[in-house]
Amino acid sequence: MTAPFFKFGLFNDEVSFIIAFVLGLAFGFVFERGGFGSGRMLAAQFYFTDMRVFKVMFTAIVVAMIGLFYLSWIGFIDLSLIYFGDTFLVPQIVGGLILGIGFVIGGYCPGTSTVAIATGRLDAIAYLLGGAFGIFVFGELFPYISDFFYSTPMGRITLPELFGIDHGIILFVVILLAIAGFTAADWGEKYMASRKEGK
Amino acid sequence: MLKIYAALPPRKRMGILAIILGIIAVFIGNPQDNTTTSVNIKELSMTTGDNVNTVTVKELSNWIIQGKMDYRLVDLRTEAEYDEYNIPSSECVSMSSLTKSELMRNEKIILYSNDDIVASQAWFILKSDSYKSVSILKNGMEAWKNEIVFPSCNCGENPTTEQKQLHAQKAEVAKFFGGVMQADAGSNSKVKKDLPKLKAPKKVTLRTNRKKPAREGC
Repeated sequence: MTAPFFKFGLFNDEVSFIIAFVLGLAFGFVFERGGFGSGRMLAAQFYFTDMRVFKVMFTAIVVAMIGLFYLSWIGFIDLSLIYFGDTFLVPQIVGGLILGIGFVIGGYCPGTSTVAIATGRLDAIAYLLGGAFGIFVFGELFPYISDFFYSTPMGRITLPELFGIDHGIILFVVILLAIAGFTAADWGEKYMASRKEGK
Repeated sequence: MLKIYAALPPRKRMGILAIILGIIAVFIGNPQDNTTTSVNIKELSMTTGDNVNTVTVKELSNWIIQGKMDYRLVDLRTEAEYDEYNIPSSECVSMSSLTKSELMRNEKIILYSNDDIVASQAWFILKSDSYKSVSILKNGMEAWKNEIVFPSCNCGENPTTEQKQLHAQKAEVAKFFGGVMQADAGSNSKVKKDLPKLKAPKKVTLRTNRKKPAREGC
């Protein structure tokens, strides 16, 4: 097994910064070209008028899942070294809701707001400043909420471990979910478009 | 068949491809089979040199005293033996659960048992499962007890200054690990060797002692 390259010491911290920089450029470029640098595009998700963001995100998830599955199957990558955080169920649900509300109100997620700043959008600058302020407030309040923050710990858990079934089945189910989701999104877009015309 | 496939719009082709890969994945099951592995015999035989993959108890004791934490010390003895006494900063992992444990393939792992045989077996298992940096604590727990916790002085009747210094050092190290210097090499039996009692509930402290991996991700 040779990957993840960094964890097997193929390059050091300094080189990893360069690689992260290049990957970041590519990521930002794709985001901007995909139209994610517009708050309107992201808000459109929640009105079901343009589901592009949903489709792109879910496609990325499926592509990454298939890629990781087969790369680890041929022995190229060690999945156990791929980092992901511990699960704290209830606090993470609450955190997800707060992020989602911010997403709907502001029209950006943390990543897309920085992309939007690159094209000079003022709302994105306000959004990012708000985010930074939120981080500051969270940091200051952390001693008071740390009990809740660390509640319902489940450790480093994955879906196959949680349900006790094979990785492959999870992969297949997620692919089916994605395709069902895309079909539903298409249908929703058409429905909203026809309703708009009807008005 | 291929013609029909090629005539479809790209997103439908992608969807079909994804479903096919998904169905194959169901039959593969788990991508990483943890029970069987192929071993590169040549590479392994090259690495089993004389003392390439060993750590002496002296080195280890220095690391522990210095608070070096870039390795994982694995105790392969039984849980009862581990609870009775273990080398500080070690964690108890049984041979059977070795590859299922939390040990990472990119970590520096040091194995020890009562002697070298069990540790060597574990070394082979981990090495063949592509763990990169695995070492054995030379002569295991025996050496740890005899050289670090209860070292003996071989200086004879009239020790030189150097020998005295060495003696003082050894005594200091033994004290650090809760042991005591033995009077003479020949008269070991005079001092009763009571292994130092473990102070804290070991397993809990060991987990929290470990440096948490740096936060990654977005």
